[in-house]
Amino acid sequence: MDATQLLKGVLDVAVLAVVEDEDGYGYDVVRRLRAAGLEEVGDASVYGTLRRLYTAGALTSYVVPSEEGPHRKYYGINAQGRAMLELQRKVWTEFSTTMNNLLTSSTQPGEAA
Amino acid sequence: MTTSTVTPEIVAFAQGVRAALADLPAEEVDDLTDGLEADLAEAYAEDLQRELPDPGAYATELRAAAGLPMRTKAKSGVLSGLAQSWTDTRTDVGVAIRRNPALASVVEFLGELRPAWWIVRAWLAAWLVAAFFGNERGYGLAGSWWLVAVVFAVISVQWGRGRWQGKGVPALIAIGNVVAVLAFLPVMAAADDGSDGGDFDRGFASGVDATVNDPPQDGLLLRGQPVTNIFAYDAAGKALRNVQLFTQEGKPLEAHGSRSDDNTCAADDCSTVWQPGQLETGQSVFNVFPLGTVAAEWDDEAQRTVPKQGAFSVVPKAPFLKVPGVFTPKKVANSND
Repeated sequence: MDATQLLKGVLDVAVLAVVEDEDGYGYDVVRRLRAAGLEEVGDASVYGTLRRLYTAGALTSYVVPSEEGPHRKYYGINAQGRAMLELQRKVWTEFSTTMNNLLTSSTQPGEAA
Repeated sequence: MTTSTVTPEIVAFAQGVRAALADLPAEEVDDLTDGLEADLAEAYAEDLQRELPDPGAYATELRAAAGLPMRTKAKSGVLSGLAQSWTDTRTDVGVAIRRNPALASVVEFLGELRPAWWIVRAWLAAWLVAAFFGNERGYGLAGSWWLVAVVFAVISVQWGRGRWQGKGVPALIAIGNVVAVLAFLPVMAAADDGSDGGDFDRGFASGVDATVNDPPQDGLLLRGQPVTNIFAYDAAGKALRNVQLFTQEGKPLEAHGSRSDDNTCAADDCSTVWQPGQLETGQSVFNVFPLGTVAAEWDDEAQRTVPKQGAFSVVPKAPFLKVPGVFTPKKVANSND
């Protein structure tokens, strides 16, 4: 199974989770996701997701100018984003439990149809 | 934060990405690629071995993740320009709605009602088709036309759920939705109008209206013929004069053409007018029979025909001098017998 396909469905909640504790700019979020084990995540996918979550009202955004180089755009979570994260956590927990049960039981001899 | 330099390659790459997004509104492109150079510079400073991907592929990934529409082929022409600006407007409105929590929740709520709309538009379509053949019945349909409505409902719901969508179907749905929205109120009005009966009932009612409630010439009719005067005879069969007649509702009975307001002409050429009776109260009334007539002339000042001064009222000759008397038994019959 291709992990990048699975990642597409959960990138929103993953991005929300990494900005929950601390605001981050695009590549910073990418780095944190990779550090957490999602090594195949694409830069552009993360930037696009940040943008979409911002548009959906789940994130705030502000620009931090830099003296040395180009400015950075930071994203932070807001109340709506937290609510979304909370909901998606529950959905994920239930879903993963269901999948775990399904996959565990289907490996039992005689039950795999 | 890592301090990093933006190389010319990165600048060129970022330009390529922006060019690949050029079909989106400028504001959207800015928001999407804001900080792109800084992010890229940092990423490549960390890993010098990395190669920059294809800007087009990168832009496509960015677009997909941001939930933006895929690049539309740049077409020329008024129609595609209109379509493009329509798409842009929809995107802008969508963004504005999502940014406003109150609006967003309203839109979300309306979104939950979509299945209801699928049914409504199916009913609308079935009603319109049935109405074309004269088979609508108020809000409902005649007999087997309900089957058509059910078929339409199934198609509509399947379309709403994104099923059965072949080539050209989305355009058909869009046009159908516009027609349905435009037709909704007129159809509701027509359906409501028809809900108290079909065409026949309405026609019958309007016919009754025409005969009963649309009095072109107030007054009495006998089998369609105007009754201009009434001659009363007493029980003995003797002609009576100055008989006051009233309807069952107590309204003064007015013969045809004897209305008290303007048209009081008794003769076709208006050489005579009806002469009202005079009550003790001084009131002039036209329910005193038989009505008399009086010679008349046109009065320029009053702009109407008025009785000639000094003319005498003439009571038209009764049709019968005497009629048979009414038989009255000496004993009053007991209704219990």
